[in-house]
Amino acid sequence: MKKDKPNLITKRSENGKPANGISRRGFLKGAGLTTAGTAMASTGVLGFNQPETVLDDETMGPEATTIALKVNGRTRRVNVEPRTTLAQALRYHLQLTGTKVVCDRGACSACTVWLNGEPVNSCMTLALDVGDKEVTTVEGLKRDDALHPVQQAFIDHDASQCGFCTPGMIMSTAHLLEKNPNPTIDDVKHAIRGNLCRCGTHPHVFKATLEAAKKM
Amino acid sequence: MNKFSWYDAKTVNDALEQVNATVSEVLASKVSDQSAVFKCGGTDLLDMMKEGLVAPKKIVNIKNIAGLDAISYHQKSGLKIGANVTLAQMEANAEIKQNYLALHQAVAHAGTPQIRNMASLGGNLAQRTRCWYFRSLDHECLRKGSGTCFARNGENEFHAIMKNGSCSSVHASSVSTALMAFDASVEIAAADGKKRTVKMTEFFVTPGDDSSRESILEANELITAVIIPPSGSKTKSYYIKQGARESYDWAIADVAVVLEVSGSKCKNANIVLGAAAPVPIRSEAASTALIGKEITEQTAKDSAEASMKGATPLSKNAYKVPLFKAIVKRAILKTT
Amino acid sequence: MDTKKVKFPHGIPGHNLSEVEREIPTGEPPAWPINDDLKVVGKRVKRTDALAKVTGAAKYTSDIQLQGMLFGRMLRSNYPHAKIKSIDTSAAEKYDGVYAVHVFKNAVGMAQAKDGGNSAGFPDVKFAGQPIAGVAAISVDVAEEALKLIKVDYEYLPFVVDLEEAQKPEAPVVFKTDVDQEDRGGGGGGQSGLKTKGNLRGPSTSSFFGGPRGDVEKGFETADFIVEHVYRTQVHTHCSLETHGVVVDWRPDNVTIYASTQNTNSVRHEFAEMFDLPKSKVRVITEFMGGGFGAKHSLGNFGVMAGHLSKKSGRPVSMMLDRKEEHISSGNRPNSVQYLKIGAKKDGTLTAIKQKSHGTAGVGLGAGVGRIAQVMYECPNFSTEQYDVFTHAGPGAAWRAPGNVQGAFGLEQAMDELAEKLNMDPLALRDVIDKSDVRKVERQRGAKQFDWSRRKKPGSDSGTVKKGLGMAQSTWPRFVNLNSTVEIRAYKDGAIEVRSGVQDIGTGTKTILAQVVAEELGMKPEDITIRIGDTLFPTGPGSGGSIVTGSITPPARNAAYKLKLELFDQVAKELETVSSKLSMSGGFIVSQEDNSKKIAVKDALKKMRTEQITTSASRSDDYGGFKMGSFLAHGDLGSVQFAEVSVDTETGFVKVDKIVAAHSCGRPLNITQLEGQINGGVIQGVSYALYEYRVMDNETGHQMNGNLDQYKLPFAMEIPEIETIIVEDYGGRSSTDAYGIGEPANIATAVAVANAVYNAIGVRIYELPITPDKVLKALNKI
Repeated sequence: MKKDKPNLITKRSENGKPANGISRRGFLKGAGLTTAGTAMASTGVLGFNQPETVLDDETMGPEATTIALKVNGRTRRVNVEPRTTLAQALRYHLQLTGTKVVCDRGACSACTVWLNGEPVNSCMTLALDVGDKEVTTVEGLKRDDALHPVQQAFIDHDASQCGFCTPGMIMSTAHLLEKNPNPTIDDVKHAIRGNLCRCGTHPHVFKATLEAAKKM
Repeated sequence: MNKFSWYDAKTVNDALEQVNATVSEVLASKVSDQSAVFKCGGTDLLDMMKEGLVAPKKIVNIKNIAGLDAISYHQKSGLKIGANVTLAQMEANAEIKQNYLALHQAVAHAGTPQIRNMASLGGNLAQRTRCWYFRSLDHECLRKGSGTCFARNGENEFHAIMKNGSCSSVHASSVSTALMAFDASVEIAAADGKKRTVKMTEFFVTPGDDSSRESILEANELITAVIIPPSGSKTKSYYIKQGARESYDWAIADVAVVLEVSGSKCKNANIVLGAAAPVPIRSEAASTALIGKEITEQTAKDSAEASMKGATPLSKNAYKVPLFKAIVKRAILKTT
Repeated sequence: MDTKKVKFPHGIPGHNLSEVEREIPTGEPPAWPINDDLKVVGKRVKRTDALAKVTGAAKYTSDIQLQGMLFGRMLRSNYPHAKIKSIDTSAAEKYDGVYAVHVFKNAVGMAQAKDGGNSAGFPDVKFAGQPIAGVAAISVDVAEEALKLIKVDYEYLPFVVDLEEAQKPEAPVVFKTDVDQEDRGGGGGGQSGLKTKGNLRGPSTSSFFGGPRGDVEKGFETADFIVEHVYRTQVHTHCSLETHGVVVDWRPDNVTIYASTQNTNSVRHEFAEMFDLPKSKVRVITEFMGGGFGAKHSLGNFGVMAGHLSKKSGRPVSMMLDRKEEHISSGNRPNSVQYLKIGAKKDGTLTAIKQKSHGTAGVGLGAGVGRIAQVMYECPNFSTEQYDVFTHAGPGAAWRAPGNVQGAFGLEQAMDELAEKLNMDPLALRDVIDKSDVRKVERQRGAKQFDWSRRKKPGSDSGTVKKGLGMAQSTWPRFVNLNSTVEIRAYKDGAIEVRSGVQDIGTGTKTILAQVVAEELGMKPEDITIRIGDTLFPTGPGSGGSIVTGSITPPARNAAYKLKLELFDQVAKELETVSSKLSMSGGFIVSQEDNSKKIAVKDALKKMRTEQITTSASRSDDYGGFKMGSFLAHGDLGSVQFAEVSVDTETGFVKVDKIVAAHSCGRPLNITQLEGQINGGVIQGVSYALYEYRVMDNETGHQMNGNLDQYKLPFAMEIPEIETIIVEDYGGRSSTDAYGIGEPANIATAVAVANAVYNAIGVRIYELPITPDKVLKALNKI
């Protein structure tokens, strides 16, 4: 990690701001501004020759609008802004907090829900994007009040530790078994290749999924 | 995320009337924050919006435009994939797997199963680099309008080893590596109702030409399809991607090899490297080294060596040179 | 205290099992036999809270939604070193949807300079990501919009983030005066009172294991062989899936804090201290917790901020860090540059170990390499110098066996190298220098299961992808926290409830409590209700140092035993005997004099005079006393791990194919959960060995991979096959004789992998993580 030519101490102008062009640090956004912070404003710059954004009757938002979401077999009305993600709508508007948000960027699959039976990242799906598709969350996996075989197998084979990745793991593995009731361990690995677990439950998840397959 | 309004476009023309900027223009501060931009799968746009890199005033949803979500294949005319086709649809398509193996392999290794269910082909081509300086709100890099590439003497282990003189980021689309190897073209619609079809080799823009963008797309344009020429029975292909992890990752190095063979002799070759340069590149040297030769361990190795000629690795990515040599050789041998 | 003499099982079944007599308090239960003769303890009992986890019903701190709750966010400096001249929050305060704004007056959650280090009334900024102010608003989005309106006027100062650059004389200094950092309930901090010069603090040369011993230079003179190298390990971040965070509900009469913490007790302590409240008015609740691994012992600056915002707004405030904040500000395992020199005689006997280390925990303390080199092997001459190096980077925190994982990377590679020089098998060398019985058994059983005899000479595997086998060992102390209390309530309807402040961070504490109490009461674990993770209940230990099992299960058993005696008292007359002649099993209280005289426990409970009876017990001293003070028990938690790897010599990529992990933890309580813990330690070790590291940009002082995309963690296909061996190791030290396994599971893996990589390619790699660039460099391919 060592630098060939360390440039640790930068010449600075009198006010302490890094002098542009001397250090690459000069280009650190906000270093010379008074509003420095991780939450940077996107500054509106005038004078561009750009057509104005068209706002018409068919445009929704930016304020909240009431939409219908089909979730776990029921139609629910939620009042959401266009920027509201499906994960936020589920967690904060419908109190379905089984769906977890971990990376918030589609890189860990903790927020996995099914849209028309296919797993997606609810953190990267806008609620308005759902339309009339059926949303299934971990809370909606039970059939006739019985646990999904994967849920039962996760209990039987101790496939959760802290449990925070568990809903996403279950949505991924249950989807696998719905499509392929006879998976190999490689199929299981493929199904959860995007599901992050930090406790290291993977070996038990593999086992639980294969055992659940026997009961599908 | 910032507040924005939402428009569901019904047709391509409808969509084109609503937008007024590309995401790249917003990123490079070339347009005001009154921008209206396209969203299909949203996996890249939302990522940038959540980082605060872009804050469009309006999102034009193109996902529900009819007619952009089909894959059609004819032996004579080849393959046409609508821009809104998801990577998962491509992965599941039997004709792609049978006739364009390297493309199937590239798609199957892109992202996670969840992401593949969301991400569209058009969005995959239009996505921006994953360079961590580019993706950082705190770093005003060359691609965002400053004169500095932080990676050049900074943290560059995943960066470009060729053509990296100005910006050393690499393009994020590994699907493009395969598409370019199959000599695909991108069909682009413009607001005036005109269409243009551009070869993959012409689609990307190098930072040397214009550091503020990675593709030729203009604000009044929308990708509508990708077209791939027919693949004959003598066409053999293979794709290998090496990321830091096997489970899912961006490519540190990837290669697509499309060969036309006669017996075990290589009649024609198209070898494309991803994550080597700022945009996917055809390695003419690698192809030349192979054309007219029997495909053997030695000729594959010679081609692989040729592929890395002129490489200019940075302080932390010299390992990518032997890595590319290994996967190029292996991909060539896997076609036999 | 009245005592009685009791015989306990002692030793390892199948190896040297015998008995030991201990003098124990009369009020404590008789000895349990070994696990084979128990019904519930040591068995594969299902996790008691699994149903809540698999259905999404489990409510974690980040799931708490209270009426009127606001969302807090913090403004953080994006510059690594600065003085704050002024802060203007007026626009943020007026912003629609904002209910409270607060500006930090003191830096929290990092080492504290003796001079305070403040200027203009604001703490100096010492790392990129240090929080400055906070906002509580109706949503996270609104709070973030308001943050953008806060104007901070900085005076920018030069900074340094690189370990080695920070030690140079011209380097910018992080702390101008001596500093200290309190250990928050097992969550890090450092040895107090050490001197700081420039950015160098220390050296630390001694610990509770003692100081230097013998004369190392003389020891090296008598050595036949010397191994001497510098080993390097990386900074990496905990990446708990649930980020750090709290919900603070400040009411006029009391404050309730829902916390994602490993330590309800220390969070209460810190909050009460910070806000000058009596502990009786502060309640901390942790029902479910989404991963900690050592970094979640403290209230944290986010907790302090949430307290201020809730107090100011009069509303509950949820303050959960986002993923980037989690990486840059909430803890990491410090890096290390370790010089290690080991001398040995021809027969393997060690003559001297000399160690010197530097590491950076950023603006925090705790960058040592632990004491594994001091304690694992017999060696008459030992010295260590361990330095903390300050840098302008986020504070380090404890992580599974703090220091020891780094220390093991040096020590166990050196032992591997020494064995080769001595022409000894690595296992045979350990047989000479390691006096631990349990590790001897682990070596034997592990080698058999792993088939160690397959191991070839280094670098001798043919082909492009070379296989290699390696092994490494570890030790971890048996820590006990006597401040551990359990209360048990029996209700008239037959219900049994266990209460303690101790939290279950996913390790299965709830389940083992149910097992221990069920075993004692002759009931089923599922009949026991476990209520823990709430400071309304008696204080429990923090979940750190693998301390929980050994601290909380003896009082749980003892309280159950007391309850049993109370019940016996109530029914003895009816069963025509005295209470000492009664026993409880299978749901019945039975007279030992006449089996036919019995009463169902449920019926006995119905006869209680009150609706419920309550017993409680606190952790008593270890039977036979402690090794040191009242926290360090006799014995250790030893492990031996074996690794099989494949190294692609063309691409440089390494894959771990298999790990066999042999472990001991006294009396094992739940085999399935132990296997889970070991799997977890191993997988984190594989990740440490091959994948993850903090990418810190030296020129801007920013972490470039503060997300879960560029920060490389293993997923399904990176997970090796893992086989576990759990060796029962009885010592008769408490009523359960059980200890934890969280930390031991993580120590040996990375270095076992490194030794296997050496075995595969015949070239040793002295730096973690073992990424392709290092492998190709070792092979002279770049």
